[in-house]
Amino acid sequence: MAEHDERDEDASRRYRELPREEPPPALDAAIRAHARRVVELHPAPLVPPTGRRQWYFPLAAAAVLVLAVAMTWHVEREQPDMVAVAPPPPPVGVTESAPAATMPSPAEQKAEVRVAPKAEPAPPKAAKPAREARSGERERAARDSAELAKQQSAPAAARSEVMRQQALVETPEQSLERIAKLRAEGRHDEADKALAEFRKRYPDFRIPEETLRRVERGEK
Amino acid sequence: MEATDEQLMLAYRDGDAVAFDQLYARHKGRLFRYVLRGVKGRAVAEELYQEIWIRVIEARARYAPSARFTTWLFTIAHNRLVDHWRKKELAVVPAGDDADEVPAGADEAADPARRLEGRQAVARFAAALDALPRAQREAFLLHEEGGLTAPEIAAATGSDPEAVKSRLRYAWQKLKQATDG
Repeated sequence: MAEHDERDEDASRRYRELPREEPPPALDAAIRAHARRVVELHPAPLVPPTGRRQWYFPLAAAAVLVLAVAMTWHVEREQPDMVAVAPPPPPVGVTESAPAATMPSPAEQKAEVRVAPKAEPAPPKAAKPAREARSGERERAARDSAELAKQQSAPAAARSEVMRQQALVETPEQSLERIAKLRAEGRHDEADKALAEFRKRYPDFRIPEETLRRVERGEK
Repeated sequence: MEATDEQLMLAYRDGDAVAFDQLYARHKGRLFRYVLRGVKGRAVAEELYQEIWIRVIEARARYAPSARFTTWLFTIAHNRLVDHWRKKELAVVPAGDDADEVPAGADEAADPARRLEGRQAVARFAAALDALPRAQREAFLLHEEGGLTAPEIAAATGSDPEAVKSRLRYAWQKLKQATDG
């Protein structure tokens, strides 16, 4: 190894004789200004990551999502008994449109946010026959389904937002699998976008060669 | 005592923009030369160089010092260059048979201020460096500019440490042949 070190020294000496190029000052200024802007916009992460435990965050996010879905499902199942004493559904555009107005856009609505108001028990102003209450519930469910269908048929921008949200709760390996699947299905635009997003999110992640071929070229 | 790179990056992560300035000043030249000598053309190099720093900045919230900052920085740079090479479908750089293959520093050599002793040897070395196969040249540059050891280069590029040692050895041999000849 001493030989290698000796050779290395010689090459280093030669290399240092080459011009010591530097980036232009304008580029320096632009990068530093960007760094400052980012800090001003987002002063510090809410929870600083700690070394190898970074995988906790996607896992925790996934757990929260699963819990929210499970709770929603549970509440949906329990609903008939609860709504037996609930008031009739309020007119469309009054009560239900209020929380929606606080949300930035339909694409940004998460499942747990959307169902949260429904989970709250309503004040029992007037008792209604269970059948009528169920009918109200059915109407509400129908509206939810329509909303969901509308979201599913939303333009590509909304779909990519959904993909972005998905990426937030995935591990890097899961993200890559999803991208490979998109590629295999011939959804190259989405795969390209997801890959670019992945690169931004995990700039230092080394993608294994075999995986890279799958996510970039859709090879099996 | 001067703060380490890792301390500066942590400070920047936590909102200290001045820490970034210090960190940037420490690494800008090395990173720039690594990029400049890894791609064709200064304009492309500047664009990639900026993108690499943007990735560093955007990844700040997730930064945790599990390795040396330099290794992390050059891993990001390597990934960006790999993306670039793939996009351009650049194969292994041919051995100086392309007119565009003028070393990035060759125009500097034309500067009278730099026409000092050993000008020819320097030019030969630059040409030989430019003519190295990409993997060998990158290993050499990561070692020289990034100050990375063979295992660190292996970690940054996802290569086998023995393969990296071998690349460094071959790179040196070719550079030596070019400059001695």
